[in-house]
Amino acid sequence: MGVFRQIGWLIHKDLALQFRTKEMLALIIVFSVVVVLIFCFAFGPIFPEKLEERGKLAASVLWGTFLFAGIITLNRSFDIERANGALHGLRLTGVDASYFYLSKVVSIFVFLILLEVIVTPIALQFLDVLTILPVALQKELPWLLLKLIGVLAIGTLGFCAVGVIVSGISTNTDGTESLLSVILLPLTFPVIMAGAKCTVSLLTTGGLEGNFWISILIVYGLIFLASSSLLFEFVVEG
Amino acid sequence: MMLLQASQITKRFGNRIVLNGLDLNLRSGEVVTIFGPNGAGKTTLIQILSTLIKPTSGTLQIGGIDALAEALRARPSLGLVGHEPLAYLDLSPYENLKFFGRLYGLDGLEQRIADLLDEVQLIPYAHEPVKLFSRGMIQRFMIAKALIHDPMLLLFDEPFSGLDLAAKQFVLKRIDRERARGKGIVLTTHDTELGYHIGSRFHFLLDGQIERGAEKEDIGLEALAREYEDRLNRCQQR
Repeated sequence: MGVFRQIGWLIHKDLALQFRTKEMLALIIVFSVVVVLIFCFAFGPIFPEKLEERGKLAASVLWGTFLFAGIITLNRSFDIERANGALHGLRLTGVDASYFYLSKVVSIFVFLILLEVIVTPIALQFLDVLTILPVALQKELPWLLLKLIGVLAIGTLGFCAVGVIVSGISTNTDGTESLLSVILLPLTFPVIMAGAKCTVSLLTTGGLEGNFWISILIVYGLIFLASSSLLFEFVVEG
Repeated sequence: MMLLQASQITKRFGNRIVLNGLDLNLRSGEVVTIFGPNGAGKTTLIQILSTLIKPTSGTLQIGGIDALAEALRARPSLGLVGHEPLAYLDLSPYENLKFFGRLYGLDGLEQRIADLLDEVQLIPYAHEPVKLFSRGMIQRFMIAKALIHDPMLLLFDEPFSGLDLAAKQFVLKRIDRERARGKGIVLTTHDTELGYHIGSRFHFLLDGQIERGAEKEDIGLEALAREYEDRLNRCQQR
């Protein structure tokens, strides 16, 4: 049977469950918008004059918000698998653990990207970043936003690659949520750091100023994606 | 045909020995009933036979496959009705059966689902979330799910607990029908009457060891109940 078909069915199931219970979608969006608003009220209404300072503020708000929204989404996604022995039901089909891993990465990635597409323009608007962009960048605003979403997407993929294997490990232990946060935050630090650096660079210059941080973002994500898909069998089977 | 061969199965949790050198064989068309009190290790045994947990030592063959070394290959040969639904309760029975049927790689899935839902009398509720079902309906759904891929080996862990008389009768009939079709069935229960009614061979699981009981033709219900009680008393005195 086709690998991609099996992964496709697993993704379809995950997304159906994520979007069926709209409470999750609403919770994550409201949570993210509230976090953005808290930062806006804390730092506003008069934001730093310099574009660079404001870019740094926006990058930290965006990545901080998406990190915590990501942790909630990971928790929720594995709660669904844990409840009522669903994960055991899945294992009994004989499906390869790496397919399960990849499907989880993709479905959580899709969910978080949708969130980022909704929240990013709101954050940039409330933090008043767009109005102080140089004229040249303002003319290329759609292209700039697209590049920003691209960087967020690469970072989110790296976050999901790390997050899914850590969630898988913590699913089999007591104190799931605390363990998830304790292991996940240090492991995702390179992703968040590189993502924030790339975001600052994009918002202040419109480009990535060299390839160092974007390379870190891509390579870290790919290493975790490849190694975790190979190791996930040991996580699931114990 | 030998469907299941478990030899010298031992399971330890820390220092506690739950199963101690247990042997169990099953041929097609046989229903082996395993009686045991709460905490005897019945669920652990079923989880090992279904390859969901690994024994500390021992060997397990399912349909001639070394199920400990090649669990993924052995799993499609078995169906499990356990304490948990092993499914996604936010999805409907139809969606669950379609999802799991696809992962098993079944052809003619729509017809198979329709036939199974008809057999377990869930056609009127085919598109309602399973989480809205009563205990009896969930049990019927679990049977449909365990049978979706027509496995040769069926494992039932306390299938009668929490069911009313009509639901118990339904489960009994269904097990008997599968036995008549040549399936091999292992069933655990502490209900001697129901276990006797459906079983063709009886064992007692006490102190982590299987104590051989008798074939159905060699023992009546009253004698079986007396023997079970005697063995329980001896076990408690030890």
